[in-house]
Amino acid sequence: MVGNKAAATAVKLAKVQVASAFPITPQTTITQYLSEMYAAGDWDFDFVNVEGELSSQVVVQAASRVGARTFTCTSGPGLLYMHHPMQGTGSGRLPVVMAVVHRGYKGMQTDHSDLMSQQWTGWGHQYVEHAQEVLDSLLMAYKVAEDPRIRIPIAVGYDGYVLSYTAEPVEIPDQALVDEWLPPNKPMPSILPDEVDPSTFSRGWGGGDPQMPWKIHHEAILKIEDVLKETMDSFEKTFGRRYGNGMIETYMMEDADCAIVAMGTIAGTAKAAVEKMQNEGKKVGLIKLRSFIPFPYTDFQEWAKKLDGFAIVDRSICPGKGGPAFGKIRDALYDMEERPKLLQFHAGLGGKEVRTHDFEMIGDKILNYVKGGKEDQITWV
Amino acid sequence: MIEIRFHGRGGQGAVTASRLIAIAAYEEGQYSQAIPMYGTERRGAPLTAFVRIDNQRVRERELVHNPDISVVLDPLIAKQQAVVDNLKAGGLVLLNTKDKPEEVKLGGDFKVATVDATTIALETLGRPITNTAILGAFAKITGLVKVESIEKALKKTFPGRLGEMNIAAVKRSYEEVKGPVQATVKDAPEQKVDIHVGGYGVLKDVSSWRVFTPEVDEDKCIGCKNCWIFCPETAIEWNEETNKPSIRYNACKGCGVCANECPVNAIEMVRVEA
Repeated sequence: MVGNKAAATAVKLAKVQVASAFPITPQTTITQYLSEMYAAGDWDFDFVNVEGELSSQVVVQAASRVGARTFTCTSGPGLLYMHHPMQGTGSGRLPVVMAVVHRGYKGMQTDHSDLMSQQWTGWGHQYVEHAQEVLDSLLMAYKVAEDPRIRIPIAVGYDGYVLSYTAEPVEIPDQALVDEWLPPNKPMPSILPDEVDPSTFSRGWGGGDPQMPWKIHHEAILKIEDVLKETMDSFEKTFGRRYGNGMIETYMMEDADCAIVAMGTIAGTAKAAVEKMQNEGKKVGLIKLRSFIPFPYTDFQEWAKKLDGFAIVDRSICPGKGGPAFGKIRDALYDMEERPKLLQFHAGLGGKEVRTHDFEMIGDKILNYVKGGKEDQITWV
Repeated sequence: MIEIRFHGRGGQGAVTASRLIAIAAYEEGQYSQAIPMYGTERRGAPLTAFVRIDNQRVRERELVHNPDISVVLDPLIAKQQAVVDNLKAGGLVLLNTKDKPEEVKLGGDFKVATVDATTIALETLGRPITNTAILGAFAKITGLVKVESIEKALKKTFPGRLGEMNIAAVKRSYEEVKGPVQATVKDAPEQKVDIHVGGYGVLKDVSSWRVFTPEVDEDKCIGCKNCWIFCPETAIEWNEETNKPSIRYNACKGCGVCANECPVNAIEMVRVEA
């Protein structure tokens, strides 16, 4: 099945109670599949047709507020249109789960600039590689978001076209197993501190300190790390699949001197490249960055102790500022006594194809750089 | 790993064909991946789709650049040398054409097989949707998937009568395919037509999209400008001196809107000969 069918199948398996979405390429077929499921009466849920993404986010926000398990999905410009109510969903600590089918701004092809632009909305952000991981990650997102320790909305991002429309084998978990592993969402009147009146709907809380809501929100999102790792373990126990520790997934890192860091579908292409390079005796592995928010600081610090260099590949850029993953990794490593060397790569922006030989070039550059060779700090692949 | 590239036009079912092969391979215990290449393709636009078949989960997500096999669903596109661009040496091309494999003019080191999928589709389905009418031929000449697995994939995708009709097309193309034989032309002829990528008509030469070409009878034309107003691609320019339309054929996709809108039937849509 295609990536978008995998997403719709996850919604069905999770027995979502309220879904609302406005169609936009390359997300459109999720709404088609959900409409078909609704028409066929596959399970009891409401599918709310709306006139735009601002409304779809508001619908799931309100439904989540009264305790329903909810789902929405969008792409690129649709996500920007959702920006305002996403803040409310985040601040309200509502466990909404959203699929973001990546679409760039400069043209309609894929890159990660849509979800990357939503870092201030107070959601958990994950980036996944293939259709099976789309299905599995959405199920895990409900488990994490609805955990009483967390109550944070989560966005699962995956690349448009090359994943959303690409057909590949997907194993569909047994419904009874999912029901047992993911029990219905338990409505919570308020996740916020005791002194807050729940009837304020997450406005005006913080005991008079206007800064307090940000502190509480920040600290709550950081807790996702432990719960995601725990959820990955229990997911593997039940369904037999795992994606690293949830925060990152490593590939052929056992003997590696250097790591390529990549996100989303291009991490799959990077796996093929890494395998080829190690067969040629080149000691390069892959760290797939899955959770961008919260950021896996400790994982990168641990790997930095063992490695000579990181080649960090960003599929988005904040113009005038640089690649977001590169910036965060450099941030994570600053306090270490011995820091590995870093190279920054911009690849796959505007849907530009990233090929296996591109990753071989990236691997060669970082291997040369850690041996003292001269390399450009920034490379546009 | 086997890599396959499909060429067709929007509406002929190249994407569906790629998915059916991927499903059939999966049914036989292989891993597979079917990537459609989406731009702004629509009915009539040349498009490509890709399939990979492997004995482990396919990780690569780049497009297929050096296919082992090229499958062409459209008889006009089948005449373009670009369908064998970057085909692996000794590879295979399967063409929808009335020609025998020995008569094919494409040049290079590869094998050629042909099947008249358009006729098969018209006679079994009643429409020139050539995807299933080439899949039987694909199963026979490549041996990559059994024809039974394609039938199984079809039944899954199109239950009922539609599936049965398509299975009939598959069976006929399995019987009627000719070849493969080594390509008779050794050297690739030069050509300039880009059949690979879609994109916006204003920027690109889309003349290869046309199945029908509009031709203006200037004696009948009354200069009402309806065609100029309605052309969705602004492919019609108005000649103020003659007060007649002038069609920019490299921007015309042959949609036929102009002929439809002409109040005096001064525009005729003429079939492009395959």
